[in-house]
Amino acid sequence: MNPLRLLLVLACSSGLLHAQAVIEGHVPLPKSRTAPVMNKRYEIVAKGGVLSTNPPLAVVYLEGSFPAPAAIPVAQMVQKDLTFVPSLLPVQVGTKVEFPNLDDTYHNIFSYSAAKRFDLGRYRPDEKPVPSQVFDVAGLVTLHCDIHEHMRALILVLATPYFVMTDTEGNFRLSGLPAGRYTLKAWIDSKTTLERPVELKGDGTLQVDFP
Amino acid sequence: MRIIRRIFFCLTAGASAVLAADDLLEEVDQALTVSAAHDDVRARLSGSLELEGYEFPRPAPGLIDSAGHELFNPRLVLFLDTQVGGHVYAFAQARVDRGFDPASDALRMRLDEYALRLTPGTSGHFNVQVGKFATAVGNWVPRHGAWDNPFVGAPLLYENPTGIWDAEPAPSRNVLLQWAHVRPGLPARITAVEKYLRIPIIWGPSYTTGLAVSGALDRFRYALEVKNAALSSRPDTWNDLGDDWRHPTFSGRLGYAPDERWNLGLSASTGTYLRPEAAPLPAPGRGFGDYREEVLGQDVSFAWHHLQVWTELYEVRFSNPAVGHAGTFAYYTEVKYKLTPQLSGAVRWNQQVFGTIPDATGATGWGRDVWRIDLAPGYRFTAHTQLKLQYSLLHDDGGPRVYTHTLASQFVLRF
Repeated sequence: MNPLRLLLVLACSSGLLHAQAVIEGHVPLPKSRTAPVMNKRYEIVAKGGVLSTNPPLAVVYLEGSFPAPAAIPVAQMVQKDLTFVPSLLPVQVGTKVEFPNLDDTYHNIFSYSAAKRFDLGRYRPDEKPVPSQVFDVAGLVTLHCDIHEHMRALILVLATPYFVMTDTEGNFRLSGLPAGRYTLKAWIDSKTTLERPVELKGDGTLQVDFP
Repeated sequence: MRIIRRIFFCLTAGASAVLAADDLLEEVDQALTVSAAHDDVRARLSGSLELEGYEFPRPAPGLIDSAGHELFNPRLVLFLDTQVGGHVYAFAQARVDRGFDPASDALRMRLDEYALRLTPGTSGHFNVQVGKFATAVGNWVPRHGAWDNPFVGAPLLYENPTGIWDAEPAPSRNVLLQWAHVRPGLPARITAVEKYLRIPIIWGPSYTTGLAVSGALDRFRYALEVKNAALSSRPDTWNDLGDDWRHPTFSGRLGYAPDERWNLGLSASTGTYLRPEAAPLPAPGRGFGDYREEVLGQDVSFAWHHLQVWTELYEVRFSNPAVGHAGTFAYYTEVKYKLTPQLSGAVRWNQQVFGTIPDATGATGWGRDVWRIDLAPGYRFTAHTQLKLQYSLLHDDGGPRVYTHTLASQFVLRF
């Protein structure tokens, strides 16, 4: 086969030459949260005290009927300086999320959310393999640490491969989208998800501002 | 079983409400944290609502203060944690309940802890703390709160009254043996209240008043504290500065953690066990310093994945010139395992044995040796609510009965 033709066939089969639309826009973000206060009452060694806070972000995603990923996607949420980084992680259904411990102390991540109940137990910084969970049900998963009660994080498990996080101003750009009619959703917090119907055609860029 | 059944019924009926309230509790948590100066000054109000029920034979075991067979003990605990920059931390704990130990009294409020901690530098080598706060001795204190404690109650050594009184020193060996229930002859006038005159070797988390320094040097940790009362002192005295610090208690712990799994500790403490009101009572020529409680402790903990194990061993000696040294050895081993993300089980073996003091018959043990096994399943409904049950079997050959069965349940809602 002609090498150029072979390249064309491979590109088409992988979707590279499918029409890829783009949606740009803006989402109103919730106000910043107060940094947590660490409970150090019975910790005789009180190092630090300044905990970083991530600015609030939103997740914008395209809702529709999409095939499951061919391979298991992998994402990471680390524990560093006694906080989760990132504190909000959107993933596609079926994603394996690893939880490496980058602190010099134990962590014990758990969730009792309906979308995923698990408890990793106490694990060390050099734990191998890195503790992980596969998130196979769509929904919001709230993470806690059984040792450090101030630690909180969210994993938003989505039934779509098309999602993006906004920047700290609320701007987003969702690219590589297939043509068709969909619902565009903006997850802002556990109680607020905004949505807009969208119709994507070819390679165009659609501007969608919420609300 | 009525109280235990009632708590179960209420929880079953309210289970859906509890689950629905979880989102609300997350919001409450955010709402109760405030900050100023660009988050450099932050304060958080948190706490727990605890509903405890006990079923026991009469007389009530341990430090339970009730004339009946059952006891309902609700408790509201409020914590205030404040962080100022990276070097100043303050906390306070207030409780509304029926007594520091389970009691049938009316509800009342107490300020159990308040402390200010300064941490110069960022290394954690040195911290200084002043106020009223739990002891650094041993390894039970960090998990004594209802949410972290796998059991409803404390280990035996924290709640088993010995024959030592803190209101007055035993004037003779024979009297000490009577106070310890080893010999008959306890005066009738005090039979009804004598349990509350006796003290254990360590009374709960010992929220006494004073100053502590602590820190970490590589894998070693140290803590030294000067407090107003001995480890065995009762809660009523933890605020008491009546003797102007003439008889402070010195305690300390040296810890070593070879890795995150293991934590080993050596503790020691010395201080007078008599309360200030007992000042006129020591024999002529004797002072408070002759009535000391001396404690040597070892503790080991291990944690790996879903397994946690804790052990504490204490050798304790109460001095009394009229009696000599009355020694006792107490220990426990506690194991907790998470069976599922929400269901856990814990078992604890406790034992306390008493040394002998010389008397007319040669030597007699100055207390009754006891052992107790505690079994405690626990279930966390949500990240804010959990239910624990505890069954305890106490063996005491010389007691009012050889075996004492105690049931307890505790529902905890934390916010």
